[in-house]
Amino acid sequence: MTARELTTGAAINEALAIAMRSDPDVIVLGEDVAGGGDRSKAGVEEMGGVLGTTRGLVGEFGMARVRDTPISEMGLLGTAVGAAASGLRPVAELMFMDFLGTSLDPLLNQAAKLRYMFGGKVRVPLTVRTVSGAGMRAAAQHSQSLYWITTGIPGLKTVVPSTPADAKGLLLAAIRDDDPVIFCEAKGILNQTGEVPEGDYEVPLGKAALLREGSDVSLIAFGATVSVAQQAADALAGEGIHADLLDLRSLSPLDEEAILRTLEKTGRVVVVDEATPRCGIASDVAALCVDRGFDFLNAPVKRVTAPHTPVPFSAVLEDAFMPSAQRVLDAVAELG
Amino acid sequence: MPKLGMTMEEGTVVRWLAAKGAAVARGEVVLLIESEKNEVEIEASASGVLRHIYVDDGDTVACGSLLGAITASADDAFDAEAFHKAEHRPETKGGGALTVKRAAPKAQAQALPTSTPTRRAIAPAARAAARRLGIALEQIPGSGPGGRVTKQDVETFAVAREALLPVADDVRLEVFREGEGEAVLLLPGFGVDVSAFARQTSVLVENFKVCGVNPRGVGLSDAPEADAYEVAQCAADIAALCDTLGGAAHLVGASLGAAVALELAIAQPERVKSLTLITPFAESNARLDALLEAWQRLAAEVAPDALAGALLPWFFSTHFLADEDMRARTRRGLAKTLSRTPAASLERFAAGLGAWSGSRAQQLGEVKAPTLVVVAGEDLMTPDAELVAAAIPNARRLLVPGAGHAVALEAGDAVNEALLAHLAAQA
Amino acid sequence: MDFSRESSIEIYRRMRTIRGFEDKLQELVAAGRIGGFLHLYAGEEAVAVGVCAQLRETDLVGSTHRGHGHCIAKGVDVKGMMAELFGRATGTCRGKGGSMHIADMDCGMLGANGIVGGGIPLVTGAALTAQIKQSGAVAVGFFGDGATNQGQFHESLNMASNWKLPALYVCENNGFGEFTPTEFVVPVRDIADRAASYGMHALIADGMDFFDVYEKAAVAIERARRGDGPTLLECKTYRFYGHYVGDPTPYRDKEEAEQWIQNRDPLELFEARVRESGVVSGDDLREVDGEVERLLRAAVEEAEQAPQPDPEADLTSDVYVSYPT
Repeated sequence: MTARELTTGAAINEALAIAMRSDPDVIVLGEDVAGGGDRSKAGVEEMGGVLGTTRGLVGEFGMARVRDTPISEMGLLGTAVGAAASGLRPVAELMFMDFLGTSLDPLLNQAAKLRYMFGGKVRVPLTVRTVSGAGMRAAAQHSQSLYWITTGIPGLKTVVPSTPADAKGLLLAAIRDDDPVIFCEAKGILNQTGEVPEGDYEVPLGKAALLREGSDVSLIAFGATVSVAQQAADALAGEGIHADLLDLRSLSPLDEEAILRTLEKTGRVVVVDEATPRCGIASDVAALCVDRGFDFLNAPVKRVTAPHTPVPFSAVLEDAFMPSAQRVLDAVAELG
Repeated sequence: MPKLGMTMEEGTVVRWLAAKGAAVARGEVVLLIESEKNEVEIEASASGVLRHIYVDDGDTVACGSLLGAITASADDAFDAEAFHKAEHRPETKGGGALTVKRAAPKAQAQALPTSTPTRRAIAPAARAAARRLGIALEQIPGSGPGGRVTKQDVETFAVAREALLPVADDVRLEVFREGEGEAVLLLPGFGVDVSAFARQTSVLVENFKVCGVNPRGVGLSDAPEADAYEVAQCAADIAALCDTLGGAAHLVGASLGAAVALELAIAQPERVKSLTLITPFAESNARLDALLEAWQRLAAEVAPDALAGALLPWFFSTHFLADEDMRARTRRGLAKTLSRTPAASLERFAAGLGAWSGSRAQQLGEVKAPTLVVVAGEDLMTPDAELVAAAIPNARRLLVPGAGHAVALEAGDAVNEALLAHLAAQA
Repeated sequence: MDFSRESSIEIYRRMRTIRGFEDKLQELVAAGRIGGFLHLYAGEEAVAVGVCAQLRETDLVGSTHRGHGHCIAKGVDVKGMMAELFGRATGTCRGKGGSMHIADMDCGMLGANGIVGGGIPLVTGAALTAQIKQSGAVAVGFFGDGATNQGQFHESLNMASNWKLPALYVCENNGFGEFTPTEFVVPVRDIADRAASYGMHALIADGMDFFDVYEKAAVAIERARRGDGPTLLECKTYRFYGHYVGDPTPYRDKEEAEQWIQNRDPLELFEARVRESGVVSGDDLREVDGEVERLLRAAVEEAEQAPQPDPEADLTSDVYVSYPT
């Protein structure tokens, strides 16, 4: 397969088009996913989503399958759950993950539980794409990384890709998965470019990727923090300290064996997560290390996360809020 | 008694409205009950005769209890017991007896020295490795932050332990061997290990087989149970080592190590090709006794870094400590060195030192081996080094003015120059 | 409208089965033989049966916490439901759902729902599926008056009307949201008035009168199938047992309740009408009563004998279709 340089947003767009071409049951719905536009008038075009990720889909697939919804997050997600339970394979867009606040019931009490409550007699092949994370100076209500909420809900799956190629492959896998999947598009990577293979391929859910190998320390990251961990690993390599870098990719299912393998190898773990620290992924990974990998631990498990605060607006404050390569290095230093 | 709410466990009969024996119709209110502050009317569940009343007005019973019985006619019998068996099948609840499981008892560990009351940080992986390799963690120096024992420390220990040299039935010593030539044995002082000779080792290896010896109870050397590590016993360990290394050797001892060298030179002169006594003593004094007491107590109660800080002024001169960087670095290095001698060993060495003090003071003239005595001008610990130098026949003497007790570290160049000259003279 | 003898008996059987089922549950809970949160449908039978009598098997129904009636009306197996309420492995949902979550996709039952208003967007989604797949199916959402104060109701109706989805929204207005009278919390006279905001067709039916519900539902469903969009059908009804099993109902006017129960019982109204028209006799219906009673006794008997779920196997299954660990 050949590959080209694409942004993460373009890779996601490509995945959506491939999924819709290969399965007529796949529909895209959400606020502004078509984004207006009257193609009968010259010079009028659709927006294709607030960040342009779905641009062009309505032209190819039409308004029936690429559906602008009202600004009704609960209604649109609930409708998507009902559509998924009754035979479609919807990809709903929750414009920003912060809007879980106005939309959680269909995910928490419906999508996650229908199959269990009904004794296994229904499938909910729903994908919810949502933009998460800080880094766009979008402040407290448009910048949160709330994947720890969906990860904590049995019945949902949650993935957070870190590269354009993974974004495409994970999204295709998510859409074709028969369970509800929350697909988080970290702001930190949406405009990043990378090589993306052409054509149809899937990255399996629940499989972490070991991005670099070293035996001195394990850096565990996902989404936007992978590049932060890469920078730290480069700096460490300059000092002769070689790091394993594990990209979790899926938070639920979590690739526990990959985490335990790297822990066993290095005995030292730093988890990097751009979300707030309490009840979060970093804590969960740390707990796993202690619970199932205790005898491998050669040092405490260090968590590099955002502080327990809302996301600030000021550029200076937002930069300080986000985990940095320096903080990863400081954590590694504390391991001894 | 019907269960009328999710939380209702019991109810009270307020009043029966129908009398026993009265005819009742299905749906007719026959009694009032009270539960959770609500009064509720209970209707007859069938038409017939109210044959029995089992719960009287004002009585409280659990939900599911039989309140009364309606039979089709006044003659029909009603068997409450049979009814219960047939109808009262309460919802099954989980539970049952609780079982407390205990972890399997630990395999009886081999008798381990457990006399390190200071809390040490030991990584889980280090504990696992120690279990796997059958090593007692108490002996292992920690290289992690705050002295944490890491898995690598345990593995390093395991490798080093394989290279220990036996000197008695139950004692193997950790001996760092480097270089080729005649054997030079380095014997460290009270409570420190061979790293005290770091500055000499690097120079001596060019011409000699340098053997840095950690005495019993220090570093990886075995630490047999004993009330005291007698100086004579330590000297016997060195004699055994000399056998292993080919008979006789040059001995370089500092402080208590000098006492051990002196003891061997007097007891078994054939083992000793030459003697270098750095800040030696023949007899202890009240100040040294007081310091050793404090040292033992601190070692048991505070972190190595704090102990190193307290000992720094006793080891080094005012001049040396004036450089703050040097002071901090030296403190850290000393802390590592000190951490290699557990508090239990310190007690045993102190007992041995006390017993030996003065025992050879009158025999210094018997020393046959060519001897170099290094005297430090600011030595607060062993101020009778000059007397030792004077008492040993033909002893060379190096006085390093303004240096502290740890003269081999503080004034390494001066000490090395005299040491090399002394050894060269024996060739 | 006239019904054949067979149809009349069948309609009566459904309503009687619902009533009998709920009466039986009331006894079972009082005797401590089953537990859980139960909300009984007795009194509202004409709504579920009236609407569902207009549906095909492929049409989908979404329900509420008071959902037993909708399940029975849509054809869910009564014995499976009873086993479910006993929490048995043979229950409709293998003992994992209980009263508030009975569902059976095989007969178009998209599930009872423990969240007030939670089923409304699901039904909207099912209608979207029908529209996109052009299956010809209609999706029907039942909910109470209380649910019409939830955002999910308004968001769903707005979308459904805008998209002309083949949906029918049936509001069972029984006068109370839990314990609070509807007029305390709803500022419009009729719930049906709310449809106007969404440009949606609305109808009001007497929810105690099977025939009125049946006829209004026919109009709405016909519109939906034609592609003319959804309808809000408000059925005025009453719940005989209060909000939940054991509700002492101190908040309701005893005389008013008596009025409904004595004079407006949907089964009695139906019986009077069909006997008057002469298509069935009282004996026909008493025979149905006996059959229903025997069916329910057997359902309880079998449920109590049925195996419990196995914690080893069943606790953690059915969470996902696939989940690598």
